[in-house]
Amino acid sequence: MRLSLTNKGTGAKAGAGLHLSPALRIPAVLLVVALIAALPRVMNLYWIDVFVSIGLGVMLSLSLNVILGQTGIFNMGHAAFYAVGAYVTAILNTRFGIPVLWLLPVAGACAALFALVVARPIIHLRGDYLLVVTIGIVEIVRIALTNDPGGLTGGANGIFGIARPEIFGMKIRKGIDFYYLIWGGVGVTALLFWQLHNSRFGRALSCIKEDDIAAEGCGIDVAHYKLMAFVLGAFWAGMTGTLFAAKMTIISPSSFTFWDSVLLFAAVILGGGSLTGVILGAFLVFGLPEIFRDFAQARMLVFGLALMIMMIIRPQGILPPAPRRYDVRAFLASLRSGRQKDAASNAMRTAPDAGPNVKSEGEGGAS
Amino acid sequence: MSPGIFAPFRHAAVPLRRRRLREAGFVIIPAERPEEIPAIPQTCAKTARKNLPDAIMDQFLQQLVNGLAIGGIYALVALGYTMVYGVLKLINFAHGDLFTIGAYLGMTLFVSMGLAGKVPAWAAVALVAVMVMGLVALLGWLLERAAYRPLRSAGRLSAVVSALGASIFFQNAVMLIWGAKYYVYPEAMRPDAILHLFGMGIPVIRIVIIAASVLLMLALYWFINRTRMGTAIRAAAIDQGAARLMGINVDRIIALVFLIGPGLGGVAGVMVGLTYGQISFDMGFSYGLKAFTAAILGGIGNIPGAMLGGMLLGLIETLGAAYLTMAWKDALSFLVLILILIIRPTGILGERVAEKL
Amino acid sequence: MKLLRTLVLGALGLVLPLSAHADTIKIGLMCPLTGGWASEGLDMKQIVGLLTDEVNKAGGINGKQLELIVEDDGGDPRTAALAAQKLAIAGVSAVIGTYGSAVTEAAQNILDESEILHIATGATSVRLTSKGMEYFFRTSPRDDEQGRVAAQYIKNLGYRKIAIVHDNSSYSKGLAEETRAVLEEEGVPVVFFDALTPKERDYSPILTKLRSAEPDLFFYPGYYPEAGLLLRQKKEMGWDVPMMGGDSVNNADLVQIAGLSSCEGFLFFSPPVPADLVTEKGKAFIAAYTKAYNSLPNSVWALLAGDAFNVLVEALRHTDGSSEAMAKYLKTELKDYTGITGTFSFSATGDRVGDLYQLYTVSPEGKFVVKR
Repeated sequence: MRLSLTNKGTGAKAGAGLHLSPALRIPAVLLVVALIAALPRVMNLYWIDVFVSIGLGVMLSLSLNVILGQTGIFNMGHAAFYAVGAYVTAILNTRFGIPVLWLLPVAGACAALFALVVARPIIHLRGDYLLVVTIGIVEIVRIALTNDPGGLTGGANGIFGIARPEIFGMKIRKGIDFYYLIWGGVGVTALLFWQLHNSRFGRALSCIKEDDIAAEGCGIDVAHYKLMAFVLGAFWAGMTGTLFAAKMTIISPSSFTFWDSVLLFAAVILGGGSLTGVILGAFLVFGLPEIFRDFAQARMLVFGLALMIMMIIRPQGILPPAPRRYDVRAFLASLRSGRQKDAASNAMRTAPDAGPNVKSEGEGGAS
Repeated sequence: MSPGIFAPFRHAAVPLRRRRLREAGFVIIPAERPEEIPAIPQTCAKTARKNLPDAIMDQFLQQLVNGLAIGGIYALVALGYTMVYGVLKLINFAHGDLFTIGAYLGMTLFVSMGLAGKVPAWAAVALVAVMVMGLVALLGWLLERAAYRPLRSAGRLSAVVSALGASIFFQNAVMLIWGAKYYVYPEAMRPDAILHLFGMGIPVIRIVIIAASVLLMLALYWFINRTRMGTAIRAAAIDQGAARLMGINVDRIIALVFLIGPGLGGVAGVMVGLTYGQISFDMGFSYGLKAFTAAILGGIGNIPGAMLGGMLLGLIETLGAAYLTMAWKDALSFLVLILILIIRPTGILGERVAEKL
Repeated sequence: MKLLRTLVLGALGLVLPLSAHADTIKIGLMCPLTGGWASEGLDMKQIVGLLTDEVNKAGGINGKQLELIVEDDGGDPRTAALAAQKLAIAGVSAVIGTYGSAVTEAAQNILDESEILHIATGATSVRLTSKGMEYFFRTSPRDDEQGRVAAQYIKNLGYRKIAIVHDNSSYSKGLAEETRAVLEEEGVPVVFFDALTPKERDYSPILTKLRSAEPDLFFYPGYYPEAGLLLRQKKEMGWDVPMMGGDSVNNADLVQIAGLSSCEGFLFFSPPVPADLVTEKGKAFIAAYTKAYNSLPNSVWALLAGDAFNVLVEALRHTDGSSEAMAKYLKTELKDYTGITGTFSFSATGDRVGDLYQLYTVSPEGKFVVKR
């Protein structure tokens, strides 16, 4: 029985020093939330816009993290799903006048459906072969958007005149409104993905990432779980696409290129795969080019250099996920005390994770 | 334009074979007599109108040659990609930018050394190619030392992100050093002989490129499979730890691979400069992506696979553009790639190994 | 961690707005300084920079010095939106730029919401001025106008079977479609119409395909790097069909890329080339530019940024400098202004009005000469 699932490669050694103890976690989160809520008071409009842009980047990176960071599927084409969401929003809003925020689930569902269709035949591909296929998908999507099939996507010019979103009769228009809308979105995203990470589903994904052959051996339906991770990540990216379309009011294929996918990929890997890490990674990847504006022409050069240096300083990423902890002693004690079986499994359930539970999960999810 | 600038094709090699080629139905037009060129397409156009199936066949043959020429370049770039991947399992995203640097260094060296007119053009080209190979190989070696070696134990994706950073860095460095405008290879360096064959015009340099990629592929294949050093490289590729136990200096092997791969990329850059004349600081991106795709198509890490993948990608693109759709050409080639990978999950020549993620 | 802390502190430092000098007038310039169109952006920066220095040396405007703030838009809409926001925050009186319709459009909304005068320079998409934005102007022509001009030239030259290939950028596609529509109206058949992929180097497959359609004119309304390669490869395959381009081939590098013998006789219509400017102001400016930077500006688009600056200076001189007053001035009072690229006015929608085009051909020496 395997009782400890430390993440291979993204080892505990490098990350452990940076992780907060559970007691400090809640105050720290509250502090960050308060900081983000208060920041617009000291920022000018430009930095508010930068933060809005970063916020979208954070949401996208978190959605990619489910696929890449937690499950270990090499997806370098995440912008494709983002694009599907944004374009679905733009088309439905400008043609049929459906309010933007109603389109959030629709855009997410379309992106998820798209992911389901394209990922199903390719999900068994390994590593770099999957990577190049996802690159292919994002390129096909970009070319399709540029070629304007059926006059739907507006070609290279894209679609313009997307309405501003409204919440309870209040129109979201200014930068600061978007700041709170999008960072609210980030908060919801982070909360949900944290729950997901600690659920059976999340544990199954971690297990697949560690060793998919062993996971298969434990009874996890690997292909099914990988596909679900893909679909879930795509769903969230599609919803982020809605927010992006609403913020920009115009969208064009040049916002959804292979290059954008690469930046998201870099944000997740740089972050290290933990929730906090990925948020920090997205901050760096989408924020640094703005900070480096003073370098004018050399700003991307400095950015490239910074990316290399940061990777070398922290090879496992800024904040790799903390190893999952298991209360083995309680488990053994309950066994030794000779009580019946369900007391033992109770002890395991109070601990955040348990090997045996993963197995029953896999049986339920047979294809 | 001064005649005789690319001697190997015009003066040294060609006359020997010219008669034999003529007897076989080839027409070779030396560039110093361009007035002869237009005569051929006109007769060709006339026959084309008379005989439709022939015209279709001619066009198909021409497209085939076009596709192989494009594929030759992809294969050249892909060889370096696959070489590095084979040993380190690292997708060296900076490879495309090392290729760009090769193209720029070639141009600068040729202009600054003032070789035009003093030595035969083929000698100048060969000299520049060797120098570029050396310089870019050195840069590749430095890159490995600085950006990849510290990450070797950290999991492959960290090195991929470092490679992305290096790619951004190199691309912008080229832009800052040489400027953002398009550069043009000096005319004197560019061979402009054109081979006319059944009404097709094929610039000789394209045939040289196809030949060069085949030769390099064979040389690499020989080197990897038949030499002691090659055996060491293969051993390191299979299992670095075990190779170390066998007394192989793995660090040195990896350094060697990072000399060969980028060196090849640099030469490919010079070749592209010579063929198309025009180079730009962001050209490495699209060539890198295409070459990576080609390497995957053939089975990455496999040297004949890179060759096959490159040629195949060139043909798919060309024939797709010619007979199906021009605007959707790249989408089509990615679609074919995906279909091939669904049927053969590790590429055409790739081995079916259980790979750990 | 230390690095991180430095970066965060650096970020916070930049949050605080820089103190502004009240005795200067700030003008913003957006241009692509990084990315694929960086060469255009550099030209724009140099041209507007030079003109700003000239105005400042001559005493500024109403006693106030001009301060030019340049922001990189990277040639992509997301970065452009941030650049526009940064300029808006900096308190500029007006913004010049940028290159590319989609990129300009991303900035347009932000500047309009901040009520800042915006003069675009390389944005030809029709819809930019059809939204009724009060403070938006452009010194570049519109796609539909160019399409009419192109079709007229083609018809007048007597060609009867036209092949059109565009590069799927919004400029190129718009121009190609407009030209095709007008040509078909006029009864000139278009025998081939498709798109190629820009930034590639080998177009021989496309040329081979094109050749089988047997056109008597090949119209390529795209940019000079591809046009040069098309010309060269067309010659290499021994095909001598005449070729014509739009104003984005108007760049001295075209001849170098194509090679002398390949581009002789190539036709294109464009605003006057930098070396061939007709106006006094244009000649004087080119002389000053050559003196300062030791080269000619590469393309006409960057010069349009110079004219945007010139009309802006006029507007600042004749008004109190508020966006409203300047917009009113540009639309109603500024008539037949003679700038660097020609004589023009602005329509009520903010479009450039005034003949801009000439038909050029490439001489055997590789010079762009006006075709009579």
